[in-house]
Amino acid sequence: MIPLTWYLALSAVLFTIGVVGVIVKRNAIQMFMCIELMLNAVNLTFVAFSSYFGDVTGQLFVFIVMTVAAAEAAVGLGIIIAIFRNRESLDVDDASVLRL
Amino acid sequence: MSDVLPSISQLLFVLFGAMALGCAVAVVAQRNPLYSAISLVGVFVSLACLYLTLQAPFIAAIQVIVYAGAIMVLVVFVIMLLNVEEEVRRPLRLRYLVPVGVLLAAVLVGEAAFMLQLGNYAAYTPTMPASSDVGLTASIGTGMFTKYLLPFEVTSVLILMAMVGAITLARQGRTPLLAAPGNVTEEPAALTAGGDVLLKPGDTAATGRAFAREQIRTGDAAAPSEVSREEGER
Repeated sequence: MIPLTWYLALSAVLFTIGVVGVIVKRNAIQMFMCIELMLNAVNLTFVAFSSYFGDVTGQLFVFIVMTVAAAEAAVGLGIIIAIFRNRESLDVDDASVLRL
Repeated sequence: MSDVLPSISQLLFVLFGAMALGCAVAVVAQRNPLYSAISLVGVFVSLACLYLTLQAPFIAAIQVIVYAGAIMVLVVFVIMLLNVEEEVRRPLRLRYLVPVGVLLAAVLVGEAAFMLQLGNYAAYTPTMPASSDVGLTASIGTGMFTKYLLPFEVTSVLILMAMVGAITLARQGRTPLLAAPGNVTEEPAALTAGGDVLLKPGDTAATGRAFAREQIRTGDAAAPSEVSREEGER
């Protein structure tokens, strides 16, 4: 069978790619998608541990993480739309102050 | 049979893991946000396949429905709505950000490799049970509505808050928030002309202003001040 460490290593690499994306990208929507990527990497860890230990708690937590991700998507995209309406740009360098 | 099955599962892991990694790299490497979104759908689908190999069919289905279905449709809709063109390559304000990011990534990968490689896993290496009902919908539902009922309810409150917040943020007409006496920038042309007032149904702010203007014009002094004050407070 597949060792548990394979899943953990894959999850770590996926999370790292997400971190690099958030740091490097300047487009707000792409940064948002990289955050989703990080959430998914953590979900993979949860599901892997849950399956290998035979405990359902990890998968319940994944369910809640997905709910939070959906809420984050709604609010985050609303913020992105508001920023774009005010600045005509999605570049986060243009949104360097908090006031609209 | 028993020596064939592990190799098949390893093959599936390598296949979907490589697909997830490639799509994840594409998410970061693409400069067009739409291509990034499509690559991210690839990551989600391959992760759902990995969940299936982990005997978690419920989470795999939810992954496809919620992530690849709902969230990515929302993201693609916003990309289309805002008509985002390709990222223009312009000088970064923080020039050292890319090296810092790469360094941070190297540290993270090194840390993970250290923990996975040098950790004492010889003492306890769990093996996945051949068949279990952990990932089935029934066991997840049982756990969610008995032991973890409070987190579930809190999550529903969170969803409600997010709904209200998203509607507030993305609302087009922001007159109730920003309309102050000196802040009204656009007046309907029919009002400033002073002639017959053309009112659209549902245009409550314009109706109120037209009513106040009409009261002022006819000389009724008591009513217009009330109306205009109420409008000013809004």
